[in-house]
Amino acid sequence: MTRRITTSGSISRRRLLATAGAGAALAASPFRINLLQAQEANIKIGFPVPLTGPYGAEAQDQVRAAQLAIAQFNDGGGLNGRKAELVVRDDKLNAGEAATRSLELVEQEKVNFVVGSLSAAVQLAINNVTKERGIIFNSISQSDAINEAKDFSKYTFHEALNPHMTAGAVGRYAFPKFGKKVAFLTADYAYGTEMLRGFLEAGKAFNIENLGDVRHPIGATDFSTLLPRLQSLKPDILCICNFGRDQQIALKQATDFGIKKTTQIIAPLLSHASRVAAGPQAFDGVIGGCSFYWGLEDKFASTKAFNAAFSKMYDGKLPTDYGALGYGGVRTVLEAVKTAGSVDTDKVIVALEALKYDDYKGPQYYRKCDHQSVQSVLVIKSKSKDMKNESDVFEIIGTEEPNEANLRSCEELGHKA
Amino acid sequence: MQSSTNEVIQPLPGAQASPVGWFELAKLHRASLASLVVLVFPLVMPFTALAANILIYGLFALGFNLVYGYLGLLSFGHAALFGTGAYFCGIAIVHLGLPWYAGIGLGVVGGLLMAAVIGVLAIRTRGIYFAMVTMALSQCAYYLFYEAVDWTGGENGLRGINIHQISVFGLKLDFINPLTRYYVIAAFVIAAFFVLSRILASPFGAVIEAVRENEARARASGYDVTTTRLITFVLSGGFCGLAGALQALHLSIVPIEILHYDTSGIVVMIALLGGMGTFFGPMIGAAAFLMLENIVSTWTVHWQLIVGAVFMICVLFFPAGIWGTLIKRIKP
Repeated sequence: MTRRITTSGSISRRRLLATAGAGAALAASPFRINLLQAQEANIKIGFPVPLTGPYGAEAQDQVRAAQLAIAQFNDGGGLNGRKAELVVRDDKLNAGEAATRSLELVEQEKVNFVVGSLSAAVQLAINNVTKERGIIFNSISQSDAINEAKDFSKYTFHEALNPHMTAGAVGRYAFPKFGKKVAFLTADYAYGTEMLRGFLEAGKAFNIENLGDVRHPIGATDFSTLLPRLQSLKPDILCICNFGRDQQIALKQATDFGIKKTTQIIAPLLSHASRVAAGPQAFDGVIGGCSFYWGLEDKFASTKAFNAAFSKMYDGKLPTDYGALGYGGVRTVLEAVKTAGSVDTDKVIVALEALKYDDYKGPQYYRKCDHQSVQSVLVIKSKSKDMKNESDVFEIIGTEEPNEANLRSCEELGHKA
Repeated sequence: MQSSTNEVIQPLPGAQASPVGWFELAKLHRASLASLVVLVFPLVMPFTALAANILIYGLFALGFNLVYGYLGLLSFGHAALFGTGAYFCGIAIVHLGLPWYAGIGLGVVGGLLMAAVIGVLAIRTRGIYFAMVTMALSQCAYYLFYEAVDWTGGENGLRGINIHQISVFGLKLDFINPLTRYYVIAAFVIAAFFVLSRILASPFGAVIEAVRENEARARASGYDVTTTRLITFVLSGGFCGLAGALQALHLSIVPIEILHYDTSGIVVMIALLGGMGTFFGPMIGAAAFLMLENIVSTWTVHWQLIVGAVFMICVLFFPAGIWGTLIKRIKP
C-alpha cells in the first residue's frame, strides 16, 4: 500500500515537473525578444525624473527641455551621424524606485549616460548605482552631499546649483540690505537643513543674529501656530527654507498674518512652477534665488537662443528654471561627446572637465575636484504687476557671478588636492 | 506501530481509487515547485532588476502572509521589519565593514529583533487595534532610523552598500552582473521557501492555523495562544528582515521610504492581490503588482489611473486573490 503510493507518486511528480518546465519555457519564448534586442546605434541618455508626484510639473518641464537638447544635437549631425536618444523613466520621487530604474537603464537599456533626478535622496541613489557601474551621471537637482568625497566619484557631475551656493547668494544679497536680525522657518529634512546651513555660513560675514529656527515637518498644511512665534521674535528678515507646496502654503499664510508689513521674507529658492501655481499675491515681494530665469535673455545671447528654440518647439512657451537644468544637463554631456569624438566614458569625462560652456545662462564650467558646475546664481524678486506675459513672474535684482569662492572648498568636502 | 497506522488509513473513502491526486502532490512539493518558477522567472521579465525586486517583495509578502493569512492578524507595521532588515544589513557593510553574508545574517537578526519588540507590545491587541498599534510602532521605528543620520544617512538614505564580487565556497561571482545578482538573491528566497513550507507543515504550523480558525478552541485544547502569536510574528520578522537585507544588497542603497507606512500598505495589497493564506500567492501578488506598475508607468504618466482600475477589478472579481481563486478553480 505504502509502496504503491510512492511509486505512482514519483511518476506523476516527474510528469508534473516536466510539464511545468515545458510550460515555463513556452511562456518564456515570446518575451525572449527583449533580451535578444540588437545593440542600438543611438547614443542613449537615461533620464529618470519624478513625472508623477508633487514635482510632476517641474519634471515634465525637464523632459521637454532635455528633448530640445537632443533634437539640437541630432539636427547638428549628431556624433558623425550617430543620433542621440532620451530614455525617460518615472522615478516617482522615491529613491528605491530610482535605484531600480537606474539599474534598468544601465543593465537593460544599456544607456551611455544618465542625466536627471529632482530630489536630494533620489540623485544620491542614482549616483550610487551609476558610479558602481562606471556610467557618467549628471545630476540636475540640488544637493550638498553629492559634492562631498563620500558620494563623489569621477563619474559624478552636478549641473544644478547646490544649497550652499543658493542660500549663500540670497543671504549675501539680503543681509546687508534688510537687517541683521534673522529668523528661520525650516522644513525638517535634508533640503531645509542644508539651506539653513548655507544661510548661516553666509551670515557669518555679516554678523547676523539668529533669532531662532522653527522647524516644520514636510507636507505641513497649517503654519498658523508657528507664524505668531516667528512674528514675536520681531525679525528684520524671515527666511523660509522649504520647497514646493510647503513654500506656497507658508508664504500664503505669512501674507495673511501681515508679516510682510514689518519683515522682508526671503527664500533660498523660488521655483517658477510654485510661483505660477500659488499666484502673485502670496509671493509678492518675496526674494529668493534661482539658477535660471528666462528674463536673462536681455543679458546673454545663449539665453535668447535657448528661449527661442524652446518656444518654437513648444508653442510659444518659455522655459522654467528646472526645465533649463534638464536642457543644460543633457546638452553638456552631448557637447562633451562631440569634443571627445566618442562615447567612451573616460574620454567624455576628460572632455566634460575641460568644458567651458555658455549654453543657456552665461559662462559655466565643472570644477575639477567635485565636478560641481561653477555658475551664476540669480537673486530674484516675485512681482505682481506690470507683467508682460504669463511667464513674466520674477524680476532679476541681483546676480552672483560664477566664483569658486562661493562654493565649499575642495578640502572642506574631503577631496584630496 | 506501522501496521496500525495503515489500518487507520485504509478505510478512508476514495483512497484506493486514486491514491494521491496531482493536486495533493503539488501541495506536498510546493516549495520545490515555487523554486522552479523562481529559477526561470528572469527570462520572462522585461528587466532583471524588476525580477529581483519581485522576488524580494514576494519574500516580504510571504513573511507578512504568515501573520496575515495563516495567523489571521492584520499588521500594518511590517515596513518596520522589512526596513530594519535592510538598514541592519546596510550598516553592517557600510559602517562595520562586515562581509555580505554577515550583512544578510544581521538583516535577519534585525527583522527578528524588531518583530520581537513590536510583537511583545502589540500582540495582546486584536483586529483593528492590532493594525493601529503595529502601525504606530512602525512609525516610531521610522523616526528612530530617520534621526540616526550618522548611521542611516537620514533623509538622504544609506548609500555605499557596494558589493562588486562575492565568493561562495571559493567560487568568485560578479555581483554587478544582473543575472548573477538575481540568482544569488533567488538562492536565499528558495531557502526561505523550504523553511516556511517546513514551518507550515509542522505541528506548530497546524497550531497557527488553529488559532486563526478558533481561538477559544485552540486555548481549550491546551495551546498557549499568545505565545503562538508572538512566535509567529517574530518568525515573520525573520523572513521580512531577510527580504530587507536582500533589497539593500540589490539596490546598493537603503532609502528612508522603505520604513514609510506606504511600504506596509503595499505588502497588504500584494498579499491580497495574490491570495492571503496561500503559499505561493504572495509571489504572484508581488509579480502582478510590481509588473503592472513598472510597465504601465513607462507608457503613460497616468499609470496610477490604470493600475487603480485593475486593482478594483481584482477586488471585485477575485476576492480570494489571483492565486487563491486559481487554486479554488483547479482544485479537483
